[in-house]
Amino acid sequence: MTTKKLHTEEFTVNMGPHHPSTHGVCRFKLTMDGEVIVKAEPVIGYLHRALEKICENRTYPQCIPVMDRFEYCTSMSCNMVFALAVEKLAKIEVPERAEYLRVIMLELNRIASHLIWYGTTCLDLGALTPFLYAFREREDILDLFEMTCGQRLTYNYIRIGGVSRDIPEPFLPKLRKFLDEFDARVDDYEALLNGNPIFITRNKEIGVMSKELALAYGVSGPALRASGVRHDLRRDDPYSIYDRFKFNIPVYHGGDCFDRYMVRMQEMRESAKIVRQALDQLPEGEISTRVSPAFKAKEGELYSRIENSRGEMGVYIKADGKEKKPYRVKMRGGSFNQLMVMPELVIGHKIADVVAIMASLDIIMPEVDR
Amino acid sequence: MKREKLVEYIQEKFGDRIELLESGAVEPIFLIKNKDDVFGFCKEIRDDLKLQVEFLCAITAVDNSDNFEVIYSVASVSKIHRFDFKVVLDHDNPEIDSVIEVWTGANWYEREIWELYGINVKNHPNLSRFLLPDDWNQGHPMRRDWDAPDFKRMPDL
Amino acid sequence: MEIAGIFKYLYEQLQATGLPQGWVDFISLVAACFMIFGFLALVVLFFVWWERKVSAHFQQRLGPMRTGWHGWFQTIADSIKLLTKEDITPNAVDRPVFYWAPIVGFAAAFAPYVVIPFAKGVIVSDLNIGILFVLAITTFTVISMLMAGWGSNNKYALLGGMRSAAQVVSYEVPMVVAVLSVIVFVGSLSMVDIVTAQAHIYEWFVFRAPFGPIAFVIYLIAATAETNRAPFDLPEAEQELVAGFNIEYSGMKWSVFFLAEYINLFTVSAIGATLFLGGWQGPFLPSWLWFLGKTLFLVFVFMWFRWTYPRLRVDHLMEFSWKVLLPVGFANLILAGLMKYSGWFNW
Repeated sequence: MTTKKLHTEEFTVNMGPHHPSTHGVCRFKLTMDGEVIVKAEPVIGYLHRALEKICENRTYPQCIPVMDRFEYCTSMSCNMVFALAVEKLAKIEVPERAEYLRVIMLELNRIASHLIWYGTTCLDLGALTPFLYAFREREDILDLFEMTCGQRLTYNYIRIGGVSRDIPEPFLPKLRKFLDEFDARVDDYEALLNGNPIFITRNKEIGVMSKELALAYGVSGPALRASGVRHDLRRDDPYSIYDRFKFNIPVYHGGDCFDRYMVRMQEMRESAKIVRQALDQLPEGEISTRVSPAFKAKEGELYSRIENSRGEMGVYIKADGKEKKPYRVKMRGGSFNQLMVMPELVIGHKIADVVAIMASLDIIMPEVDR
Repeated sequence: MKREKLVEYIQEKFGDRIELLESGAVEPIFLIKNKDDVFGFCKEIRDDLKLQVEFLCAITAVDNSDNFEVIYSVASVSKIHRFDFKVVLDHDNPEIDSVIEVWTGANWYEREIWELYGINVKNHPNLSRFLLPDDWNQGHPMRRDWDAPDFKRMPDL
Repeated sequence: MEIAGIFKYLYEQLQATGLPQGWVDFISLVAACFMIFGFLALVVLFFVWWERKVSAHFQQRLGPMRTGWHGWFQTIADSIKLLTKEDITPNAVDRPVFYWAPIVGFAAAFAPYVVIPFAKGVIVSDLNIGILFVLAITTFTVISMLMAGWGSNNKYALLGGMRSAAQVVSYEVPMVVAVLSVIVFVGSLSMVDIVTAQAHIYEWFVFRAPFGPIAFVIYLIAATAETNRAPFDLPEAEQELVAGFNIEYSGMKWSVFFLAEYINLFTVSAIGATLFLGGWQGPFLPSWLWFLGKTLFLVFVFMWFRWTYPRLRVDHLMEFSWKVLLPVGFANLILAGLMKYSGWFNW
């Protein structure tokens, strides 16, 4: 007796741009065969603000607040990558104190960004409480930023030649207090989820990304380190003064969502370590080299990159030496490549896993759309 | 590899096909003389055992008034070095080969330069609307000569 | 201060008016229905507020604070809003099915209260098939979900409805098996008998190791899944992705589903308290206070689950019920039988 295969049809589901779990406005066209996803196609461009074109029309110092909006969860890194590129082009020296302040702010911003990632991942998986805990920690960091540069999200703090303001009196005691409590809090977060069987079943063996796939697609940052590649720009291609600090680079080899989670939890601790070391070594001195607001960079072009919490953030600047404005600014963010690799990772999984995978890759749309 | 050794090695291996440019402020930038050679060059730098360039950082397009330039920024994760190379294209009819077969991650970068600059990328599997709205018909916005009624320039400082 | 006396007094007053006995019984039953209706309405009002406060305090925030002292008026404000909301009915729905689905769900939520012992001597009707009646009637909620899914004329609502129905039906089985292990000990299905069998705290079924705690845990897990609460609320959260069965409902009809869900929560907690925690038994305090206290404690545990755990995916959910809970439940039942038969640990 033979049985004919039951006639089934594939149908398309739209996981629309307005969706609580798509980290910004991103649309997925999912072709499903029953419960299982056969093809996924991301449709982007909902957050395109033409930042690159805007930068062509602004002077170099005016580009820094534009870069803030490139990836607003880690604005300090965006400022930093641009300032670093211009400083290399125009061979501007940055004073010691400014370098240390930069590192402190960058690492605090990395912790803040990972806290957003942690909160939203748990929210997407249905555990609604850790979101509030993560944001409680983040409030401390944002208070520190507000007291220094007046802003909570888009800082415009790291300028060409240094930083814009010195840290006020209450900054250091508040930062030390935060650091003292932080490690215990991260332990709490891990205790809540690491051993939880529900969390493990939803994350282990989901969205497995092999090393070759990751490198072929240009994935970088924690997603790459969870696939077994020990690559961190702070260690391999050190910029600023990162070569003066001792920190570990967590690497896991499974490449699934759970490993990406573990990498980022460890990274939060390592960032706290770096901040402590920087605080101990913080010298007195100038906070910025004087740079004229109308300065013209010498002719040249370069691509400068730093390690952002979502991967490699890079900016390509071409200066033509005659104008006060850059001729071309190209921004490169880690989420762009991670979103490119997502369709490969969701095939064979169910819809609920799309949410888990997107959360674990830590994709945010401003980096993708610019 | 250190910068000097890298430059030496690449110049030795590729000889006449490339030229080291002066404009590279930090990392070396090479110019590929023949734009049809781009795919071959990319494949060779990825497969070469001493270079092992398996990571494509970005593909940038620049509109100079008389030509287009496409700049590939690449890096090696295992050997920890980085360099750029560029190719110069015709202004009237810019065309380039896709390098998707070398680095799959070039897919969306090429789609972007097609959409925003109008550079035709041959052999690309899916050149379709990307960042701009679906019903966009106002040309290629990143070009220098692109204008629109509500596009204002900032006053000079 | 026992309340059984009040009801007895009211009944006697009614008899004294001289009406025929049939009328007296009928009026007293109708009055009982209204009293239960009123009591449950208050319970739901309280629960909605309590859930918001509990979740807020778990999440290090305060919850509703503005509408009255600590926001006690919040639920009433929300109900007023829901009542005045526009009731949108799509054109192509299957009208009778669409309209009756929330009513069936609501009725199914109220029906078990016929046999729940609220205090010593206070029970609407001490059926001798008490717990069996409850387990049978609570299955009506599945019908209401299927009706909602079908009547909405929306393929995603149908998928969501079928998925919810599958979840509820799958978790009924371990729940029944857990309850059976208690029944084996009591020897009777009547709810009052079950309570009187737990006269002392060491006789409460949750403490009668080893079968009692296991049955209790199975019951708690199955009850969470029955009421579609987290961590088993993927059919509801699926509204984000595909659809839940109540996606086409708005305004009052939606709030009826919502009410039914909270009443179900009270039901499963009340049954849990009766079966495992000794019902209204307890020293010093009046029995209705013990009953309320134990039930509210279980409700708090369910709320605690919701705000702590992430969500299970649908296939994990089913796997867990059939491959883990059910075998453990059966083994537990056999153990309970052995314990009863051999007189082991039987105090």
